[in-house]
Amino acid sequence: MRKILFIALALTALAVHSYAQEFSEFTDNNARKLTLGGDNNSIQVGGRVSGYYEFRWLKPGNDNYSHNGWAMKDGDLDVLGRTASKFVYEFHFSLLDLATAAATQNTAAPDAPGIKAGYLEYRGWPVRIKFGFDKVPFSQGSLNDVWASPMQSHANLYSGDLFSRRDFGITLNYRTWKERINLYGGVYSGLGENFFEYGNDASGRFEYIGRAEFSFPGKMKYCSIDEENSAKPQFRIGIDGRYEDKRQPAGQSILTDEPDAIGPYGIKLFDGKRLVYGADAMLKYKGISALFEADMMKCQPTDPSDLLYAGTPASFNRGYVKAGGIVTGLNYNFEKIHSVFSVQYEHFNTNDLQQGEQEWMYYGYAYKVDGFNSVFKIEYYKPTLEDHNGSPLKYYQQIRVGYQVVF
Amino acid sequence: MRIIICLIALCSVFLFSFGKKKKTPRIKFKCDSFKSLKNIPEPSDIVYDKESDHFFIVSDDGLLFECDLTGKIIRKAREEGMDFEGVEVKDGFVYVSDERPRKVYKYRKSDLSLVKIYSVSWGGAMNKAFESITYNSTKNCFVMVSQQPVIVFEYDTAFHELERHPLHIAKDINGARWYNGDIYLLSSADDCIFKCDANTYEPKCSYNIDMINPEGLAFDANGNVRVTADATQRLYFFKNLPTIIQ
Repeated sequence: MRKILFIALALTALAVHSYAQEFSEFTDNNARKLTLGGDNNSIQVGGRVSGYYEFRWLKPGNDNYSHNGWAMKDGDLDVLGRTASKFVYEFHFSLLDLATAAATQNTAAPDAPGIKAGYLEYRGWPVRIKFGFDKVPFSQGSLNDVWASPMQSHANLYSGDLFSRRDFGITLNYRTWKERINLYGGVYSGLGENFFEYGNDASGRFEYIGRAEFSFPGKMKYCSIDEENSAKPQFRIGIDGRYEDKRQPAGQSILTDEPDAIGPYGIKLFDGKRLVYGADAMLKYKGISALFEADMMKCQPTDPSDLLYAGTPASFNRGYVKAGGIVTGLNYNFEKIHSVFSVQYEHFNTNDLQQGEQEWMYYGYAYKVDGFNSVFKIEYYKPTLEDHNGSPLKYYQQIRVGYQVVF
Repeated sequence: MRIIICLIALCSVFLFSFGKKKKTPRIKFKCDSFKSLKNIPEPSDIVYDKESDHFFIVSDDGLLFECDLTGKIIRKAREEGMDFEGVEVKDGFVYVSDERPRKVYKYRKSDLSLVKIYSVSWGGAMNKAFESITYNSTKNCFVMVSQQPVIVFEYDTAFHELERHPLHIAKDINGARWYNGDIYLLSSADDCIFKCDANTYEPKCSYNIDMINPEGLAFDANGNVRVTADATQRLYFFKNLPTIIQ
């Protein structure tokens, strides 16, 4: 097995090395995206293709090697348009997710519906109004594009297992003081990525999300790497919150009506009320970027026998369950050698009523042939504290070696 | 263990594989002061008009302003475009590059009325197109530079394409200005002004300017450099570019 891995890595090295040389010679022909322009409309067509080899160091007694092999990560197509009448629209599809959902009858990844964005936004007024399906304005880590970093996936805290990253709804956005202050407010279905599977739930109530950001000395993009090697220190701090009351009417149950939407820890959606609040910060200077984020949630399931209460009496749990965690990371964009180095630490707890703490260390390296538009990535991560009862792992650590092209 | 060795070998292959870049002399160039352009959202480009002794500044919101030498607005044109990113003054007209729809707006300078709209072609990303426009008096043609990848396009006065010159000098180019026989190119990602040969666009030397997101470049009547920065919404005041002895 190791020989195969050795050969695979060597072949990847050779392939990527020769590809790198070819790309650096012909970068002027690499018009990565295609834009079509009319008198009142311009449309950009782009996308992303990526894949990797994944290897897990399995624990004794586990002989399922299905995670030790090739995987395709992205197969996306994105259409972004802008009209002279100040409308912006976007349709972002993951053809890979659509194919997977079709082939597995939506059982493999029900929280990856194949649509990553489908919205219409009006930018003609001081307050921008967006209607449709897109990322919700919560959590810096979720808003940052993971493809523009050495990592292959988001940290667990904001990967979509604890709270949704995308949803269908309406978002208002107001920017002031040279866009240093950026305010968001929105009303969403609360079903998150499972909106297309279930529509709205029986409660008839929405999820409300708000976020406030302050950047200095100028506005900052949602990008964790300082690719521009900022000449002056730049920072952004943000606070955000979201609330939903999903108490179900008599005879209805989220567990039976929307079973895929509850997430792996059962706290993404449940019968009851939930408040999530967080804070985050990012600093960029001369290629170094430091990130911090903390998100906490207070869940109040309606049913005293709800699994989230973990069988504890009301006198002990006082009618609520808490979860949340922190993520902190450090990156260095070493432009001279086209490389980005990343390290990230994560600590989170999915339920404070039972032993459920987890700690993870992530290490990433990216060799940029043409920025993050054509990049070789290595991601290695391992749990430093495992939740043996709630989420036991079958492996000690994992590595992913892959390549990504954004066009 | 073998995997780790393999990964180290792999990284080494990358780290020693990049090509050699042609180096040009480079010095630091510090600004004297700056002014906040409160009423010009996202100022993208600036050009000096000798005749009026004023600046013309364009904004991302499709706005064209005429300003005095301190950046104070004197008048503004009717809102026309989507994403104004480049501006040039030539023979009584103001030419503005609208990046996303790939158009050039021609305004009459006297009353800022719109005279004509030209279409230019660039198939790349919507927001990586022409952030600059200047008139190259050495070759008697308009020059527009695509932001990323960097390609210099030459056009005749009716904006028919004449020639293309791919450049490998910077990660992006956000501003261009012909001045005293040379073409000056401004890179936002590299925080740098390149002084280039006006015939070949080959860089002669470069100046590091430490600022966030510079996008527009102009020279006033005395050769003093003015730079607009989009993200901070500021107009930066520099002295003349120092001579670099090679």
